[in-house]
Amino acid sequence: MIIRKKYLFYALALTSSFIAAFVTTIDSYVGNTFFHGTDPIQNAVAFSFSLFFVGIIATFIIALILSLKHKGKSLGSKLLDPSFKRLRLIKKSELRHHLIAGLMNAINTIGYCALISLVYDPSVLVSFSQIVILYLLLMESITEKNIPTLAEVQSSIIVTFGAILASISLHGEINVPSLLIVFLIINPTWAFFSIFQRKLKMMHINGKLNDAINIRFWNVVFSFLFTTLIILFWDIISGSQYLLAGILASIYFFPWLFLTMSTTFFSYVLYIRSLGLGNASVNNAIRASSIIFAVPFSIILALYGLSPFSTDPVMLIIKVIGMILIVMGIITFALTQVKAYIFITLKPGHARKEVMNKLWAIPGVSHVTVTAGKYDFIVKVSTRTLVKGYERIIRRIDEIDEVQSYKWNSVLKDWENI
Amino acid sequence: MISAYILITMKPGNVDKATKEMRKIENVAKISVVAGEYDIVVRAQVKNLEDLLSVTDKLQMIEGVNRTTTQIIEKEIAL
Repeated sequence: MIIRKKYLFYALALTSSFIAAFVTTIDSYVGNTFFHGTDPIQNAVAFSFSLFFVGIIATFIIALILSLKHKGKSLGSKLLDPSFKRLRLIKKSELRHHLIAGLMNAINTIGYCALISLVYDPSVLVSFSQIVILYLLLMESITEKNIPTLAEVQSSIIVTFGAILASISLHGEINVPSLLIVFLIINPTWAFFSIFQRKLKMMHINGKLNDAINIRFWNVVFSFLFTTLIILFWDIISGSQYLLAGILASIYFFPWLFLTMSTTFFSYVLYIRSLGLGNASVNNAIRASSIIFAVPFSIILALYGLSPFSTDPVMLIIKVIGMILIVMGIITFALTQVKAYIFITLKPGHARKEVMNKLWAIPGVSHVTVTAGKYDFIVKVSTRTLVKGYERIIRRIDEIDEVQSYKWNSVLKDWENI
Repeated sequence: MISAYILITMKPGNVDKATKEMRKIENVAKISVVAGEYDIVVRAQVKNLEDLLSVTDKLQMIEGVNRTTTQIIEKEIAL
């Protein structure tokens, strides 16, 4: 099926963020109901270990069900990701990315579980995680040759301030340890995790685009391995018994952990798929909408007396302002992008391989294809504004001596078979 | 697997209708409506050159298509 790429991208990211808000609510409930012993480190570590331990079982069962064939196609390819065929072993080329994503997810989850024990309200937890956009912008400017524009910086700051305001409003105060966990552990690791998940999704395996279901399954496996190693190392040097606490928690609270990890599976698979369609920073900007989705869940928990919910009008106004800022930031961020094809002809007698590398080095270039036919290269670029496209891309092409002529064709609308 | 860009020039006023038709063609991976020398850029992914011929034939049959230029991709770097 060929549909507007933009619509699918938004649908995936928004659905994923809705499920993420739901998952955070369950996590908050589980964390504060079952993991509330006197040792906060043990609570966080046992909770994160049990999440991955039960997560492997849950993800494996779901992935197996999705591998079942119906009319020649797997259920997973029909329901979640058309690239999915069946559960498979990872390829050597994927291993490095999986190792980094797994390690980052393991650290992130330990931090997240520690945060849950400090902050009870899901909407606060979700708000805090939106600050990741700042880290992603910085990383994308390095890894994807994309220097942020003023509009990107502005919208990221708007989203960040919005997230901070939205988090203060329900909580009523700022918790310093939780802020440290958010800024130093959760968001940086999530940024790395997102970038490497995106890299995995963009890979071609057996001639097809990599699928989100296998990526998620193997991420849970590697995250579990790293979590176990971290806890084991800690147990050995400190003499604690956190690993045992994690194993016991996995057995005692299995149904709840199974529920949260099964739901997380769908949130992540949709997230990974949307990562294959757009930049990690734009994806996370859209996922900021989970703050809004988390509010009804927070109210439900508050009604049952499971989390505090401020009814102070000043706090509520601050919260609404925070939400408006986030939505504005998202819209600015997601809707300002100019894409174009540049058709390039070279002067006779020049090696195309050398020019290919020069074109690839230009910031904003996302695809360089060497072609046989009227043109020597078809280059795809994306930039925030046409002015930036001229200054950063056209000027650089002008500087390449081997280029005889080029034609710029701005993309007005596009569809993709996904 | 062979990938190719097919650059299409249209008669005025036919782009919307033509893109709807193009979306139904097998092996069409991507369609972009562009402003510039061409009107539509199609990316096709086929198993062999015969399939590519079939795609270009089907594109040329669409009402409003004036001219097609096929560029076969020899090498690609992408993010």
